[in-house]
Amino acid sequence: MTERHLILEDGTIFKGLGFGAPATTFGEIIFHTAMTGYQEIITDPIYDGQMIVFAMPVVGASGIHAEAYESVKPTIRGMIVHDLAEVSVNRQRRMNLDRFLKQHNIPGLYQVDTRQLIRHLRETGPQKATIVDYADEHAVDQLVATVLTNKQVQNTATPKPYANPGRGRHIVVIDFGLKHGILRMLGDYDANVSVLPYTTNVEEVLTLDPDGIILSTGPGDPRTLPESVLTLIRVLQTKVPMLGIGLGHELFALSNGAELMPLPSEHHGMNHPIQEIISRQIFYAMQGQGYAVNAETIDRKKLFVTYRDLVDGAVQGLRHREYPAFSVQFFPDAAPGPLEATEVFADFFETVEDYVEHFNQ
Amino acid sequence: MSNILTNKTIKKLLFIGSGVNDFGKEAEHDSAIYQVMPELTRRGIEVFVIDENPYTLSLESLSATTFWQPLTVKNLKSVILENKIDTVVPLFGGESSLRLWSEVVQSWNYGDGTMPNTLGLSIDMILKVNNLPILTQMMAQNGLPVINNYVLKAQDEANELLRQVQLPLMVRALHPIQNNTRHIVDRLDDFESAIKAAKSQSVTQEVIISKAINGLKEISLEVLRDSRGNKLQIGASEDMDPIGIHTQDSLSISPILTVQDQLISKMRSYAFKIADMLHLEGVLHVRFAVNDDSHEIFVIKVSPYIDQMATRTALCTGYPTMLVAMNLAIGVPLEEIVLPRNFGANAAMMEPMMDHVVVKLPIFPFGELAEAGISVNRKLNSVQKSVGTTLGFGRTFIEALEKAIRSAHFNNTSFSPTNMATINDDSLIQQLIHSEDNRVLLLIEAIKRGYEIDELAELTNIDEFFFHQLVHLHEIESQIEQDIDSISSLRRGKKYGLSDGLLARFWHTDFNIIRALAKENGIDATYKAVEPSAGEFPENARQYYATYESENESAPISSESILVIGSGAFRMGDAASGGYATSVTLSELKRLQYQTIIMNNNPNDATLLPHLADKQYLEPLEISDVMKVVELESPQTIIVPGNRKKLIDALKVLGQKVVILPKEKHMPIGPNEKQSEFAINLFFDGEKIYPINLTQHMAGEMRIIPQMIETIDGIDVLSLKNPGVYQFIWYQETIKWQETIRASSFGKDGSWVRPMPFGQIAYLTKVMDVPLMRMIVRAGLGRLTDQDFELLNTLGKRVTHNKLSLVAGDINYGLHLQPNQVIDGTRFEIGVGVDDHG
Amino acid sequence: MLNKEVLDNASLQRALTRITYEIIERNKGGQDLVLVGIKTRGEFLAHRIANRLEQLEGVKIPVMAIDITNFRDDVLNREDSLGLNEEEMTNIADKNIVLIDDVLFTGRTIRAALDALIHIGRPNTIALAVLVDRGHRELPIRADFVGKNIPTAQNEKIKVLVQEIDGRDAVEIVH
Repeated sequence: MTERHLILEDGTIFKGLGFGAPATTFGEIIFHTAMTGYQEIITDPIYDGQMIVFAMPVVGASGIHAEAYESVKPTIRGMIVHDLAEVSVNRQRRMNLDRFLKQHNIPGLYQVDTRQLIRHLRETGPQKATIVDYADEHAVDQLVATVLTNKQVQNTATPKPYANPGRGRHIVVIDFGLKHGILRMLGDYDANVSVLPYTTNVEEVLTLDPDGIILSTGPGDPRTLPESVLTLIRVLQTKVPMLGIGLGHELFALSNGAELMPLPSEHHGMNHPIQEIISRQIFYAMQGQGYAVNAETIDRKKLFVTYRDLVDGAVQGLRHREYPAFSVQFFPDAAPGPLEATEVFADFFETVEDYVEHFNQ
Repeated sequence: MSNILTNKTIKKLLFIGSGVNDFGKEAEHDSAIYQVMPELTRRGIEVFVIDENPYTLSLESLSATTFWQPLTVKNLKSVILENKIDTVVPLFGGESSLRLWSEVVQSWNYGDGTMPNTLGLSIDMILKVNNLPILTQMMAQNGLPVINNYVLKAQDEANELLRQVQLPLMVRALHPIQNNTRHIVDRLDDFESAIKAAKSQSVTQEVIISKAINGLKEISLEVLRDSRGNKLQIGASEDMDPIGIHTQDSLSISPILTVQDQLISKMRSYAFKIADMLHLEGVLHVRFAVNDDSHEIFVIKVSPYIDQMATRTALCTGYPTMLVAMNLAIGVPLEEIVLPRNFGANAAMMEPMMDHVVVKLPIFPFGELAEAGISVNRKLNSVQKSVGTTLGFGRTFIEALEKAIRSAHFNNTSFSPTNMATINDDSLIQQLIHSEDNRVLLLIEAIKRGYEIDELAELTNIDEFFFHQLVHLHEIESQIEQDIDSISSLRRGKKYGLSDGLLARFWHTDFNIIRALAKENGIDATYKAVEPSAGEFPENARQYYATYESENESAPISSESILVIGSGAFRMGDAASGGYATSVTLSELKRLQYQTIIMNNNPNDATLLPHLADKQYLEPLEISDVMKVVELESPQTIIVPGNRKKLIDALKVLGQKVVILPKEKHMPIGPNEKQSEFAINLFFDGEKIYPINLTQHMAGEMRIIPQMIETIDGIDVLSLKNPGVYQFIWYQETIKWQETIRASSFGKDGSWVRPMPFGQIAYLTKVMDVPLMRMIVRAGLGRLTDQDFELLNTLGKRVTHNKLSLVAGDINYGLHLQPNQVIDGTRFEIGVGVDDHG
Repeated sequence: MLNKEVLDNASLQRALTRITYEIIERNKGGQDLVLVGIKTRGEFLAHRIANRLEQLEGVKIPVMAIDITNFRDDVLNREDSLGLNEEEMTNIADKNIVLIDDVLFTGRTIRAALDALIHIGRPNTIALAVLVDRGHRELPIRADFVGKNIPTAQNEKIKVLVQEIDGRDAVEIVH
């Protein structure tokens, strides 16, 4: 393994050893404190274009498994860990982390003082970064000159509709960079799923006669998406039960007049206590967010806050006052993460059942 | 203080201690109780504690009314009634106090008045938890995966079962004719014959079939639950050794590295479900058997009380487990828990994350026993053989492993690498399959001999990850051995936790030369904080471990600090008394208002409690580790147990001020069945000796002789160097308890002077109500007061009327070790208790 | 006799939460809302829902409890005594009432409650929320808010356990 370098936009340089692909990449660097689920994390489209530093000291020891992909093709720009665990590739484990990253042309860096890097990033917030062989002036100039894309949703969302048939309720998923966990959860409820691109319109959705709508997770800043998305949500929320997740939650908030704010330090992990306000019950969930809904901008006549992060007070869920429409900032598909968060899907399906029943009456 | 949920008032609260130390029971319960008592007192609750163990720190706490009595139903009841106890907390005393408390409850009579309220777990649940079949049935009803036993008579019934339950299966005879009727069926071909065989061994021709879990991974999760039903996970670890080897005897590692998120999440939800099922308000340790490939999970042990996993995970993560558990028990919901300032604002509610690796190694007593010519069964199985635990902290598995091995101070020959080289291939394979205490070295030896990883994984049922790591370690070591004096090799070796001593051995030189070489080349330890946010938030961390990276987070706390060197893991002989001595020392230093630093690696005693010192280094205690901390902190004084002679010399060479806590290298041999050991006990303040009293010790029991002793002649003060408590010892062929001893018998031939073992200091402290350990610390620092001298001058003139004798614990050496001869309970002490001979 | 848990603590909480959200959805702003719990367990459930509304909206919704044991059409000795005081009786006039009970079965209890409420106070609207709808209706009554539909046989019993009385929250089928 050869020595490579991580350069941050603020000029800080970290040395490490390269693994995965020997490529030079640029991306926004963030840190993740989850201690499990590295495979799900690096394949989650919400991290499109980003480099992820893991607080977990040893990464790779549980291999790469067919059932733990969150997308078919990972689009992160780099993975920075302290210790990389080797595992054999054999009949049961056809893939390991190093080989996986090579295959997808993603560079990794290990033997980095990740604790120092994280302590640094928690002060500076996310910034541009690059993984290179030589940390020379040229590399720094390149980094400064690089403009990162803000087209992450376009990069990861499906351009064409597709179905994931089941025999239960018909759920339309509007895809902003959907992770597999959502489809897996819908599968658990035997839902008949149609995934539509986010460029769809009200007619297309309603023609499918859905029993419920899910606004999917996705990467990046939702404010870069066209206004038509917000209009779509505004109309659909009055027609069918709706659940927004992650980016879908942020869009749900935006379409009901609330504003977003960047978090001072992005939050990626699964250890913050989240409180359901109505019951004061505390639970834990996978979280990955750079933005939060600004609570002060919420129109209390339209929305109310349903969940809060008890560490930073950030809004973690919203619900519409008049329609069976709600949203969560955290990831209730538990892929990876605590299973107690999957209750949100139970909520959603109970709401759908209720809606169908009332409709029939 | 009132319990929010039940509105029951808590005025007088009793902790039931866990009693005599034993296999699997060190000082973890005492440590937990000791930590939370002041917090309860602060809330206006009157706290009481009962225990029989003389090493119990809680019994010397100023925050409680203490009862040092044998733990019997009768004693417990009378303490409760006489003191009008309204609340009992059995969970902090672990399994044994849970059992004792349920006996008290079951023997409670109408005439005894109102039974105290039990916190944390209802009586009904305690009884269920104490009854394994009922607990198992309850879990099965709640949809939890438990191991079911199917009782069958006919082959076709068995065939039907075969299609429901996957192989491997365990087939046993019901009502067996002889003892061992177990058959493990791995292959379909063996199924019928196993059934036939088991049937023939059964009186009723019936067989029990259950899922065989030997060889699966063993995983532990620690969770907690509050009165509102909120739950969080506060720790997790995986055993390297598979099921079949007792978890206490396994190398275990935290966090879990080799198991996927999906399986861990599932186990977490099972643990939560169990906590709900028990309506627990406290901590819960659940052990699981896991099959990575088939994704099968089984619950194998449920412990809804404080145990070693609880104390260990608290140390591993920095999560304030005991303080939170105490709050939960008295009904404070998670959201409303207020912690002392040294914890982060949301520390109680944040699930702790780790950015370091902790390896737990068991301490086996085989080496010490072998030195005494005692051979025991060294094969590890489902009966615990280890007596202690030590931890190694690092940023990689190898670093943590190396540090744990160093912490364990393996000094017996079975751990010498040269010894390994002589083992022949047959016994190597034998030992791979039937593992012994030297497991890790054996695995490395197998790797050296070219065994393939998948071969080894199959033979041992150990996850391949660990073999890859050991291969890596082997590569690093061989490279270092080849590249003598190479700086990059040195750097690499230090990064992976190799000690200066080991590197010196590779390069045939002295460890001081290695130290100097590292220093010249800027290879220096960096200390990282152990804190539960894994770097996400600034925390007021007090606990650090060394690694070799770029950022050091530990700054010296004061130019006037005192560094205390702990006594490491619990071992036979020293038993829990080393932890007692260190903890009392720290407490006394705090009282004297010193800034204190402790270095230790034992998770199961109180020495590393956050409030006992200003700073903790979770480190091995070899000379090079101590030197690094000394360089960083420049303490004004270093307190070292007297058995660390080389360390003491090395520190003195550097001109450090060292205070020695007098202690012999080995525990003395106890008297045999026909003799008594007599002792004149005395305090030496550095100049003068003060008589304390006389004690008589017969095999298994020690008593104070109720006699004054004013002067001692014939003891050469000059032979004593350091202040401390000493004993002038002689033997007599008598097995009668003496009321008096004639002065003419003092100093018979063959008598000698030795430092008093810490255990006896703990005993005398309690039985005489004289703080001997604290006075040793004060004497060492030159801080004995006029009051102290007054007391010292009168001690010999007092007669102790307390009738409690020190008795050897009822330790089942036979069950655990299968020794070839009787084990001397003094020299190889594991636990002691008290008995009332009055 | 073995009891089978059909709704555990978490699902029961979720059901109450969803009922609360639906009450908000259908009573825009929660104005003139009064919760009326049918004794004994309905009363506790009404308080739970009121607590939830308070957590969410920061307003206290009035909660009343009525005892209809003397108001059933199958009870001969019928007295117009609901256990309400005068003030409470006047308070329901022109209000939007949500009537809350633990189990909806034949509908007779609800009918008695409706009779009583209309009889004494002339509310503006009355809606019905139940934690469990177990079927077997004998009257044309249906609930507006249902926690969980649990199909049952006639000979089964549904037992709703609440923390306040039973020490835990659950719904069990008793065979």
